[in-house]
Amino acid sequence: MRLLERLWGQKPSRKSDKKKKGTSNYPYAVTRVRAMKSKLLPKESYPRLLNMGIDEITRFIQESEYKNDVDELAMKYSGGDLAEHALNRNLALTYDKLVRITSGELNYLIVAYLKRYDIWNIKTLLRGKIYNASAEDIMESLIAAGEFTYTSMSELAAKATYQEVIEGLKYTEYYPLLQKFDGTNLAYVENELDKLYYTILFEAIGKPRSKDRKLFVKVVRLEVDVKNLINLFRLKKAGVTQLDEIMPLMIEGGLELKPEKLASLSYDEFVNELQRTQYWDAISGVTGPDITSLTTLESRLTRYYLESSTILSHVSPISVVPILDYIIHKNNEATNLRIIFRSKEVGLNDELIKDQLVVI
Amino acid sequence: MVDGATTGLFLDAAGMKALGAAIAIAITGYASAIAEKDIGTAAIGAMAENEGLFGKGLILTVIPETIVIFGLVVALLINSA
Repeated sequence: MRLLERLWGQKPSRKSDKKKKGTSNYPYAVTRVRAMKSKLLPKESYPRLLNMGIDEITRFIQESEYKNDVDELAMKYSGGDLAEHALNRNLALTYDKLVRITSGELNYLIVAYLKRYDIWNIKTLLRGKIYNASAEDIMESLIAAGEFTYTSMSELAAKATYQEVIEGLKYTEYYPLLQKFDGTNLAYVENELDKLYYTILFEAIGKPRSKDRKLFVKVVRLEVDVKNLINLFRLKKAGVTQLDEIMPLMIEGGLELKPEKLASLSYDEFVNELQRTQYWDAISGVTGPDITSLTTLESRLTRYYLESSTILSHVSPISVVPILDYIIHKNNEATNLRIIFRSKEVGLNDELIKDQLVVI
Repeated sequence: MVDGATTGLFLDAAGMKALGAAIAIAITGYASAIAEKDIGTAAIGAMAENEGLFGKGLILTVIPETIVIFGLVVALLINSA
């Protein structure tokens, strides 16, 4: 068919397919990423990690996929910092690899998804400048997995004030929003940046017509729902009931939840309403009115999200979804390891750490 | 001398047979190529991450070769008929 299309000349391109599928190398990229996923830490290793001290854990990850990163950074850092930076570096390199090994439509979608790290980096830069952190400190917290290169971000980190950082981002799509930043409304700008990310992502995906794009959108929408739900629980627990206070914190484009409907309900009504959604099975045991900590609930929701993305990745095996699934799982692994390190560092007990982990 | 009963529109019977055999080989060869392209690239992707998969990748890559073998058999049968 593609051959015929090529002989026939360019068909008028559909709005949603900005890059032609024919240039993507789906089988290569998907199989390679599946092989990469098989190298993620198995769930059996987490109980072992919990029984280790920080140095033992560092050694453990040094023997795994993080070897190069730990070796490289071992001269400069030690203990928890070493692990943190090794994780950041590994995450950046892994996502960079995904961008390198893909092409065409696949590459386009992955780059659009990974823009979340650009947002992360902009937030880090702004926070660093507000609190007068040194350029080195800021650079250590950057994850160069998005579109911005590490070099360009280092240049931004070296600027003296946040105004200069924002000026440096003049030619990016975030500039109009960043102009609203006046040094005091960091929380507002950060929330808006997050929303902008999803707006840009949904725009990049366009109106999904093919099966794999529909699944891709479904995973992203599910993520939005999970984020909104976690935020709603936190807000309800904190006693916030005003619609105009809650709605600015909600991200648009969720799969099933309607934040505008849920926001005005009382806690009990809110929980009753959730019983009709697909999320209820995941959270049914931990939503009682007397719960004090939302940690278990949040980790269960995250686990539900991870499991759903894996299921959807099997629905369309040769598509962008398995790669998205890998990105999510890799991120989760880095988060888990970070939780273990930081918790061990401050001496939390194992039960508490276990509650925070999302192990699949 | 041209025998009207054994002549096609353009070719005689031997020519038609040869053409049939050629089509059998050409189409099945093309079909194998398309199938092997995807499997081959997938196998290379897997091998790039894990070299131990070379053996399995190689076997899976040549499985669509059976399509062209069927084509070859058909072509030989046509020729020998």
